[in-house]
Amino acid sequence: MANKADEWAGLPMPLPDMKLVVEPNYPWAKLYKAFNECVDELEASGSDEDSDSPQIEPIRSFRLSKYKGHPVTVVVYRVLETGKYQKMFLPPRDNLKLLVNTLGASVAWGAEQESKALTLLGEMISDYAMKCYMMTGTFLELSKRSGVMYLFRRLRPTIAMRPSLHGNGTRCIAALCMHPIAHYEQSWSGAMCPTDDVIAHLALMRGDEHLFWKRSEQHSIDQPEAGL
Amino acid sequence: MSLNVLNVGAGDIKLSFDKSDPAERIRAARIVRDMLKRGYALLIETGRDGQNRPVYTRALDFDENTCEYIIADYDPAVPSELPAASTQSTQAETNEPPVKSKRGRKPTKRVAADSTSGVAVARVAGG
Repeated sequence: MANKADEWAGLPMPLPDMKLVVEPNYPWAKLYKAFNECVDELEASGSDEDSDSPQIEPIRSFRLSKYKGHPVTVVVYRVLETGKYQKMFLPPRDNLKLLVNTLGASVAWGAEQESKALTLLGEMISDYAMKCYMMTGTFLELSKRSGVMYLFRRLRPTIAMRPSLHGNGTRCIAALCMHPIAHYEQSWSGAMCPTDDVIAHLALMRGDEHLFWKRSEQHSIDQPEAGL
Repeated sequence: MSLNVLNVGAGDIKLSFDKSDPAERIRAARIVRDMLKRGYALLIETGRDGQNRPVYTRALDFDENTCEYIIADYDPAVPSELPAASTQSTQAETNEPPVKSKRGRKPTKRVAADSTSGVAVARVAGG
């Protein structure tokens, strides 16, 4: 079906109860948007939300590393009836939801895909790095161009690190998250099998490091999305 | 030697530019052109590093007639900016007038598609 549609990277698989975030210029993005709306409708029909609650429009949200001693997410919103702006403080999200959703998305991948991806990755990295990947799901690679050390991780964002200023240890710069075509919302899962995502990170870092950073979502290390 | 296209479905697909199969070669060339048009990043192997790992360079374009990737002509492992001191010393040694930096197209080189391998990555949806 994907070949007939000339989709050389294939068609992402929609899953019940999970929204797919698709690259906006993808030709079938509208179809997936309609699917996400169906998921929204199903969620709305299943919830017992009070219909008299005021309609609000979210304006922006940001994270405070410390508010009264704890990290919080501040959400600024506008109440549509009155036009007044208000704020609310939310506790930080934990990794558990991301982890469970990632587990749920695993039904979209096949063992054959992953096996092919592992073979390709084995041709791209050293035997030692491949052993590290098989045992721990991670491996390190230093960029000679920028001097940045990358920790590539299966089903987690890649960690970019540099030696610390005092020379003892390293400091993390960012967690770089990137999924070709699509990813499942509120999870670390991409539409492609986990090792294909790692290959995409590695190949882009080696071939065009600037583009790798440009195309990646850069999460702060203390955010749950960073997966640390 | 083939181009691995990262694929959602049944795993990565391989495009071959084998000269003994002209039909497949033409099909592969058309797919590569189409992928570049759609914003795919084509990372082409341009050599091996000290640990025998492939070194990649992103393809800027593709010549469908000759089946050649057009890539930027620089070493991706070397920092892009040279230190100012080394540039000055080179000019002093050769006694040549300072060369003004040229704007416009950067130097490119061609790599035959049937003699190299690579990885094609589709446009990304963030994370």
